[in-house]
Amino acid sequence: MKKNMQKLLKLLLICLSGMVLVWFMNHDAFLYHDPIARITKVKQGKTVRSEDTYGNADYTTEQTVWMVVENGKYRGQKFKLPNTYSKSGGYDQKYKVNDRVFLIITGSKKITAIISNEKRDTYLVFLCWLVVVLLYATMQFAGLKSILSVLLNFVIFLLFVDLDVRLNLTHFFWLFALAALIFTGLSLFLVIGFNKQFGVTFAAVTSTTVLALVIGVLAMKVTGDQGMHYEALDYATQAPKQLFLAATVIGLLGTVMDAATDIVSTLFEMKENDHYISKRQLFKSGMNVGQAIMGPLVNVLVLIFFAETFMMALLYFRTNNSIAYTFEWTMALGVVQAVISGIGITLTVPLASFLTANVLGGDSHVDA
Amino acid sequence: MSTLSLLVLILFGLMVLVGGKRGLSAFLSVVFNFSLLFMALLLIAGSISPLLVVLFTSICILAITIFMGNSDEDATTTAFFATIIVLLVMMALMLPMDYLAQIKGFANEQSEEIEAFNLLVGVDFEQVLIATTILSTLGAIAEAAVAIASGLEELSQHNAAITLDEIYRSGKNIGFQIMGMTFNTLFFGMFGGDLALFVLLHKLKENFGYYLNSKIFVAESMQVLYSVIAVVLVIAITTYLMGKKIMKQRQNGLSKSETGDQDEKTI
Repeated sequence: MKKNMQKLLKLLLICLSGMVLVWFMNHDAFLYHDPIARITKVKQGKTVRSEDTYGNADYTTEQTVWMVVENGKYRGQKFKLPNTYSKSGGYDQKYKVNDRVFLIITGSKKITAIISNEKRDTYLVFLCWLVVVLLYATMQFAGLKSILSVLLNFVIFLLFVDLDVRLNLTHFFWLFALAALIFTGLSLFLVIGFNKQFGVTFAAVTSTTVLALVIGVLAMKVTGDQGMHYEALDYATQAPKQLFLAATVIGLLGTVMDAATDIVSTLFEMKENDHYISKRQLFKSGMNVGQAIMGPLVNVLVLIFFAETFMMALLYFRTNNSIAYTFEWTMALGVVQAVISGIGITLTVPLASFLTANVLGGDSHVDA
Repeated sequence: MSTLSLLVLILFGLMVLVGGKRGLSAFLSVVFNFSLLFMALLLIAGSISPLLVVLFTSICILAITIFMGNSDEDATTTAFFATIIVLLVMMALMLPMDYLAQIKGFANEQSEEIEAFNLLVGVDFEQVLIATTILSTLGAIAEAAVAIASGLEELSQHNAAITLDEIYRSGKNIGFQIMGMTFNTLFFGMFGGDLALFVLLHKLKENFGYYLNSKIFVAESMQVLYSVIAVVLVIAITTYLMGKKIMKQRQNGLSKSETGDQDEKTI
């Protein structure tokens, strides 16, 4: 009975914290420098049907939006602005009452405003809250620890992006290669700790990553980059080929680490249970574990890369581009990345098994 | 020969070399999944509801990923059901969240790539967003579900007297072990692809507030968060279902032997 009360109290507290958070995020305009306005009234205008040359029908609707500024020196100022949105919503926004938007306000005597962005922080923070609550509910504090490594990696990632922009190196690929080394070291350290197992896993991850990348680069050399449209890379502001390789290394890392830890930790456990297990037996078991996880891991990456190119490919198809053309210009780069990662995962299996078997082999004892 | 076909050939050769028959079936599962994804894309481009298409495709992809290359039937069936439940829960969570956060479609940062297009193409971009988010997490939840289910199945076979509490505790342990690495895989997979975007955002010298509200950043971050939620849910649900199933099996086993005893008595 008492335990149930405690549980109920905890549940109430968690719900309450979520509600308070959402309320706060909805009223955090005072934290921003840019003017934020709340939409108070919306009047729907007329809807027009349009059809493009490919026969795609769409509808655009006009609306008039009334809003009031919630922060800064224009606080209380009211605006009435026109807005147009489409039914498909590829690049526009339908506003509703109580939406909050960022404004750019100009002019001194007669001030005018345009909407620059929608306020989205509430939902992002709410989702973060949901993740924390779920992790706590299922795994208590251990769950929160597992997300720590992701957070730390994200901070390091941002630091290296900052370094990249500041230094503006010609061969910036090496900067991200260094970042990749640090990511690997840090993530493995957080999961395994600093011991013999860490060393073996680290060696396996770095050697396979290098090997897979070398194979990828050689394949590009041999075929003369045929079908590789680096200029199609999204958001490229630096040498696109290097950027592509840097992105490949980072994408490659996660899965190779996943595969290597699975294999190495299983073999270390086996060695602990049976000190006299032979090198051959260890290698065989490692291969066995690896063969089972190989397929699922490659699939994880294929799905991620495909999803990333999905929207762009859709746009190409809807505007009557052929399958071959669409594939080449929107997906080929992502697929190459996924395939290089697949090569990395596959190479991890024998390499990690071989390395671990040799380190642990014979009747030497586990020091770790 | 194009770079891609050479690389695919290398991948095929390596997978068969390393995995033999299992490698071949793993390679085939990747090819199947890719074809399914491409088909989904063509169906959506052909004006069929993205949510319906993705529901159908997801179930196929989950079945392929879970049942191909895993022989233990009991564990894989449970894993499959757990992933389907998570799929539906995630859809129910994404529908309102994505509607509220308004992150569908293309962002300002992509204006260069899309300036040649007329964007009034009559596709529901909100549904497309949900479809892509679900697709990108499928692989990870399938992997986690299989790991938990087969781990627990093995445990119950080795230890017939295991209690429900012990099953839940072991599920939590196995779940914790795979969670950290799965998060890393997802994070590096997604943010690795966004490297160029982050460099661009940084060059634009925007402030922290811009990051928290910009469509592209919020959309990418929410994608990672959704996949974390999906993985956590699939671990919990698989453990729960396996626990229930193992208990039920044992009860069935017990009652069978009991009725057997009774039969003997009546004879």
